[in-house]
Amino acid sequence: MAQKLKETILNPILKGNPITVLVLGICSALAVTVQLKGALVMALSVIAVTGLSSLVCSLLRNTIPNRVRIIVQLVVVAMMVILVDQILKAGEGTYAIDKQLSVYIGLIITNCIVMGRIEAFALGNKPIPSLLDGIANGLGYGLILVVVAFFRELLGSGTLFGFRVLPEAYVPNNLVILPPFALILLGCIIWVHRAIDKDLQEN
Amino acid sequence: MNTNNNVYTVIYTSIVVVIVAAVLAFVASKLGPAQDANAKAETLRQMMSAAGIKPTEELYAAKNAEILQLYADNIEEAYTIGLDGEKNGELSISQDKIELVSKLKPQHKAILAEGDATLPVYIFKGGIAVIPIYGAGLWGPVWGYIAFCPDCYTIAGAFFDHESETPGLGAKIKDEAWFREKFIGKTVEWGETPAFRLEKNVEATGATNAVDAITGATMTSKGLNEALNIWFKAYEKHFGLGAFFNMLEGLSEAETVNDNEEE
Repeated sequence: MAQKLKETILNPILKGNPITVLVLGICSALAVTVQLKGALVMALSVIAVTGLSSLVCSLLRNTIPNRVRIIVQLVVVAMMVILVDQILKAGEGTYAIDKQLSVYIGLIITNCIVMGRIEAFALGNKPIPSLLDGIANGLGYGLILVVVAFFRELLGSGTLFGFRVLPEAYVPNNLVILPPFALILLGCIIWVHRAIDKDLQEN
Repeated sequence: MNTNNNVYTVIYTSIVVVIVAAVLAFVASKLGPAQDANAKAETLRQMMSAAGIKPTEELYAAKNAEILQLYADNIEEAYTIGLDGEKNGELSISQDKIELVSKLKPQHKAILAEGDATLPVYIFKGGIAVIPIYGAGLWGPVWGYIAFCPDCYTIAGAFFDHESETPGLGAKIKDEAWFREKFIGKTVEWGETPAFRLEKNVEATGATNAVDAITGATMTSKGLNEALNIWFKAYEKHFGLGAFFNMLEGLSEAETVNDNEEE
């Protein structure tokens, strides 16, 4: 049991990482990784949404009519996303970040990771493992987001969390700021990930 | 229980939707005031940044309550005007009931054709007048606040913001202090078309009503240029005339000084 739980938590972060292995949630990974702060808030929001949606759907799993289960899941996910957005907007410290992330918080609903985990895991498992699975998948997503944002903010603006790290003489690279570079960076991360984890390599 | 039964399905989905709607309505009504307060404080920060009340970083570091206090301490008068340039309303400036017409969204573009408008003017201490502008950037709306010196002609400061312009390119209108600082000391040629130019290589011409557009942000600059000119046109009668009277007043004052000297 403990072994299974450990796997539930570790697998999405490493071997079954939603972005680098399952290649889900790519769109927002390209869009919100210009600055670390935004990426971090986005990661936390996704963790909250995946965790809570999985929990609620798992609680309801025996009552949901099979024919409308996707719709019911969608309603639950949409509610969580709106809640996260509303809470971010209401916080004095998070208001500016919510404004900066603009539509991408709302677009968490379209993140395949959320619905994917509910379909694949929450509907067939007890609430607590489902909650952990949701959180772990959010973490796996957030980890990649933060890594990508680290390089993009460093090379694109010469700052980290808004603080200047590289000397003023460094000319920010405009390509790094644009979405195509995030895709290139993501490719490199997948490459590194596969080079380290031999199990992921195809023959 | 047969969960695939039609009646069950309909009842189940109805209940889920009603519960979710209730939760969201409850949360929205609970968080609404906090969100409005955040939005209002944000507007005040941007206006006061344009008016030069405090440096932008300090305004953004300050708590909402401090911002309201600062606004109440520095505002002198707030009113709305029509396209004819005449006052048509007052905006409350007392600290617990600050009234703003912050976003001009519904009036965008169509405003000049409609002829009916409530355009806000905020007068800060020292006679600095702040007006909002609103327009379309590349990916979404851009807006800003322009502060005028008491001569209603020279720009005392500006602040621009955007919803989703490209970071590092269009987003420079907000992120880079040097961009908004370029507007300080520039002038608006009321009554002329264009009244202001945010275009490529216009600073080199020596014109005082021109600021160079941002390289790599053509569409954002164009949108901002259009927004500036639309709203300058809308405010033209108010400030154009105001500037004229101020100038007359200035002249008569100069005359009295001369008279005194002659005596």
